[in-house]
Formats: sequence, C-alpha cells, structure tokens
Amino acid sequence: MSNPSIGGEATEEALEALVTAHVDATARRRAKRGPNTPVWTVLVLICAAVYFLLPLYATAAFGFSTGKHFTLQPLWDGLGDEGFQTSLTLSLTYSVVTTILALAVVAPTAYLVELRFPRLRSTVEFLTILPFVIPPIILAVGLSSVYGINSPVNLISSDWAPVLLYGGYFVLTLPFVFRAIDNALRAVDVRTLSDASASLGASPARTFLRVIVPSISLGLVSGALLAFTTAMGEFTLAALLGYPTFPVYLLNVNGYEPRMGEALVLVSFLITWAGVIALAAIARRAPGTKVVRAVPM
Amino acid sequence: MSRLELIGINKQFGGQVAVRDFNLTVEDGELVSFLGPSGCGKTTTLRITAGFESPDSGSVVVDGRDMTDLSTNKRGMGMVFQGYALFPNMTAIENVEYGLAVRKRPLAERRAKVSELLDLFGLAHVGKSYPHQMSGGQQQRVALARAVAVQPGVLLLDEPLSAVDAKVREELRTEIRRMQVQLGITTILVTHDQSEALSISDRVVVMNKGGIEEIGTPAQVYAEPQSAFTAGFIGAMNEIPVRVVSGAAGLVERGGRRVTAPGAVGLTDGELALLLVRPELLEPLGPSSASLNGDLKLTGRVEVQTFLGATTRLLLRESAATSDGQSAPAAARLLAIDVPSSTAGRWPAGSELDVRVPVGGSRVIADHVAEAPRPS
Repeated sequence: MSNPSIGGEATEEALEALVTAHVDATARRRAKRGPNTPVWTVLVLICAAVYFLLPLYATAAFGFSTGKHFTLQPLWDGLGDEGFQTSLTLSLTYSVVTTILALAVVAPTAYLVELRFPRLRSTVEFLTILPFVIPPIILAVGLSSVYGINSPVNLISSDWAPVLLYGGYFVLTLPFVFRAIDNALRAVDVRTLSDASASLGASPARTFLRVIVPSISLGLVSGALLAFTTAMGEFTLAALLGYPTFPVYLLNVNGYEPRMGEALVLVSFLITWAGVIALAAIARRAPGTKVVRAVPM
Repeated sequence: MSRLELIGINKQFGGQVAVRDFNLTVEDGELVSFLGPSGCGKTTTLRITAGFESPDSGSVVVDGRDMTDLSTNKRGMGMVFQGYALFPNMTAIENVEYGLAVRKRPLAERRAKVSELLDLFGLAHVGKSYPHQMSGGQQQRVALARAVAVQPGVLLLDEPLSAVDAKVREELRTEIRRMQVQLGITTILVTHDQSEALSISDRVVVMNKGGIEEIGTPAQVYAEPQSAFTAGFIGAMNEIPVRVVSGAAGLVERGGRRVTAPGAVGLTDGELALLLVRPELLEPLGPSSASLNGDLKLTGRVEVQTFLGATTRLLLRESAATSDGQSAPAAARLLAIDVPSSTAGRWPAGSELDVRVPVGGSRVIADHVAEAPRPS
C-alpha cells in the first residue's frame, strides 16, 4: 500500500472496470442460458474479487484509522491540504489538455489513414505502440537532455515548460487513444459513408464532423477516458521532469503523512470510478451507435 | 433534367485495365443500365462519373459542362450505394435532410421536401427511426429519398438492390423506375442482375472486361445480341454446333441436313459455328408436324424439368443419332427448351422429344469466339 503511483493503479482499475463489465455481461448471458454455473467459475470470481478488493480494503483500513479506531480525520486533512488542491488542479489541467490534444490529433489522422492512406496504416500503428516498447523513463531522460537546462533549447525553465509534459503525455496516451478510435473507425464503413456524404455535397471537414465523429462517438469516449486516466496517473515523467502533479504529491505525502496519503489514494480511486460510470452512461445513451452493415438477406 | 456524356474514358489500376474507351451519352431523363459480370468495369465507370475516381483519360460532361476535375461534393449528382450507406447516427428524416442542410436551404423548405419524399417512398412512419431499426427495404428507400432530395441532375445507382431479398427487390425496382420517370431524373443503374437491367431500363450497356460490348434497348440486347458475350450473358441461350458449308450462301450443315441460315453469311467455309437460339424459340415437334420448312430438327431425352411459372424448362440431352459426332462436346451440352407449363406434362423426365430449331432468324457465330460465360 506504499505504492505512490496511484494513478497508474487508477488506469489499470479503469481498464479492469471495462473488462469486469464485459465479464459481467458474459456471466449474465451464461446465467440466462442455464442454471448450472460450474463451481470453478465461482472460485475464479471469488479469487479475482479478493485480489482486487483486498488492497482497497487495506488502503481504507489504514487510511481511515488512527491506528486503533476508525476516523475520517486523515481524509479531511488531505482534502484541506493546499498541496492536494494545487497538485490535483495541475493534474486535472494536464489530463484535460492532453485528452483534447490526443483526440484532436488522433481522430482526424486515423480517419485519413483509413480513408486515403491505407498503405501508411502499418507505419502509423507501429508509431503509436512505441510508448509500449520505450518506457517512460527513457522518454523522460530523452526529453530532459534535449530540452533540459543544459540544452540550447531550454524549455524546462522557460514559460513553455508545460508544453514538454503535454508532449510527453500525448505520446504516452497514443497507443490507447489510437486503438480505441481505430477500432471504432473500422467498425463503420468509413469509405462508403464518406462517399455518401460527399455525393450529397458535403466538404471533407463537414463529413468528418457530422458523419464520422458521431459514428465513432463510443471510440472517442473510451479513447478520452483512457487518455485522461493515463495522464492523471502518470508518475515517471512528471517526477523526473519536476512537475508537482497529483501522483508526485501523493508520493511526498506518503513520506510524511502516510494515513492522509492512503485516504487520498481512495479519493483518486473514486474519481476514476466516477469517470468509468460516466463512460458507461454515455455509451448506453449514445444514439445510433449500433453498427449498421448491409447484410444480404 | 440533365444530359450526361462520358467521353473516351480509360482507367487502369496498377496496370490492370478497369475501363477502356468508354463512350456514352445518357439523354435527359433516360435510365441507362450498366450490365455485366463482376470486374467488368461497370462500378469503376460509375465511380468515375461520381468523382470518386479520376479517369486516366477522358471526360465526364453534364449539360455541356466538363466535370472531370470537379470533386464529388461539387458535382451535384445523387448516388445510392450497394450497402445503403445511411448515416448510422441520424434518423431517416435527418438522413434525407442532410444534403439540403449542406446546401443551407431554409428549415421550412427542408422540412417540406423531406416529408414529401418520405410520403413518396412510403416512409412516413419510420421518419424518426435510426437505420438499424429499419428493414433492408426501408433503408434502401431512405437511401433513394436522400439521393433525390437534393434534386440531382444525374442519379447514380450502384447495385442498389443487391442487399435486399428477392421479393423486396422486385417491388423496389418497379418503385425506382416509377420514381425516376415521375421526377424525370437522368439515371445510371449499375447491376449484374440482367432481369433488373432489362425490366426497368430505357437502354442497357452490356460491359465486359472494361469495355462496352454493346448498347441497346432491353428488347434489342435480348432478341438481337450483337456479340457472343451478350448472347451468353443475357438470358439463357442454346448454342447449337453446326458446320459452315458455304459462307457466301449462308449454308450450314448439321446431322447430314443442310439448311440456309442467313446469320451464317460471311463465315468461313468448313469451319465450326454455333447457332444461337433462345429456349422459348425451340419448339417440340409432335408426330403430325413433320414438315421442317428449312429448319433443323434435334432429338433428345428429357433429363430435368424446371418449373418457372408460366413456362417450364426442359433440359434435353441430345441423342447420338442427331449429334452424330459432328462436334464431340455437343453431346455434353444440355439443350434448354421452354414450353407452356400446361403442356409440360407430355414430356416427363426420361421421355424422348423431337425439337424444331428455327434457323431463319437465328444468329450464327464462329465457334472459336464463343467464350461467353454460361448463364447462371
């Protein structure tokens, strides 16, 4: 429970939630099919539940106690802490900007690749998974040597410093955002829809905004959520480049006020959950998201 | 509303000829079908017309205005796609309204036009439905309404009925024709379905391997095909092997009997040729009707009867006596004869049958060019 990188955990939790939702749906379908649920299925479910819930319980037990009895004091302390408010604001700002940036760049790119440059597809795919291959630490070291205080392009100590983290976060979110959007694009017949829109007189930009974007709204929402949680939870880049973001703050707090730290960990966990639930709600309400294909009858 | 000219269009994809020397004028208000097997270049030609592809050479002209270099969204043509291509995020109303919204027409005019079209296509009750909530036929009607909403000069239909089931297909094709005549829209219909092309077109362009095989009215391409390809592709066609005795006199021989076939004039003496006869033109011979009057007679055994409704098709295996080794593969070919279903009972499977082959009006082609695909 001393892991300070709560955000990283949060991202995993978000993915976990999506997976769990899917598993739930599958389980429900199973349940409909027959009353006999195999014993080992139940066992696996129990093991998984213990695996995921026990740490949460431990966090709560430690964070909400004086050592002897239950108290919410660490939580109130944490929420009232100035460092908490500024670091959370900073992280939220970075996450929102990164999310918008990622969507604004990736969605048109993926669309154009799908529509006009299918041959570039493998190249683009390769580029977007680079962050999986190159760990954030390498990115941090690279960025600080190119844009650091010893570099002729010293961004870190200039007013442009945030750009560095936006850039870094953008790269880190690429794999998730591109996957999510690309999957959504491939589920609709992008080419024919674009042709249809053009034949009705629409410009390419109008086609993209009015036809393509609404058709891939689910992909955009899940891409946004993944980008947001990735940026919210990122620790390595922020710590090494010296940005006091929320995860960095949590690490510090854990050093001198561990109970307060754990209480705040739970808060960030709840924020992530709120995001996941919001996503599910949007997904359920989005009209016409069901993929329509011509099925010869 | 518009006159469409396709002039000298050529298109290759990576060295493969997709369209070659395509010349066609579609008159104002005319419905012309592009008919051919898949890969014959009909869809590419349509996509060039629409502006989705640019030709290597040639031009697309509408009412005297060269559109070759205009992008699709500036051509003002309506198009209906094979898979409907309705916008999944929009209701039927919004789909139909889209082109009008793009053109920034006033809201009242848009609403009026949309409801008029939904009525015309019998869609009023599904106006607020999303595409995935509609049947295939309804989706295709919405696609049609959407395409004609902007009052296009030219309407392009790319296999519009291939995704709907047989019953709806027949209904819809009549509806398309009715709508097209009513609105007077110059229309191109791309299809591989000959019955679709023949039933609703003013003219049919038969295409093969990227080129125009022939252009004619449905009656012309059916009754007087100008090429072996057309003959084989459109409708069922019997190919009866004969030997040319005299190309000058149009004299052909089969089974020892010589007859005059005007269609054989110009063929080389001594070569093998094929007499092309539609199944409905073959006539079963009773014992009484002995006189052949310059026609040929074939004898065979009925292998299968296929009930087609008003007529029944008999598939006849020629007996050795008449095919007599003149052309060996001939024995392998089944002959199709259409008879009124009311009389089909006279020739059950297994029975022997004499058939009169009309020679006078039939086309005769040299055997080596007869590489037309079998009608499926």
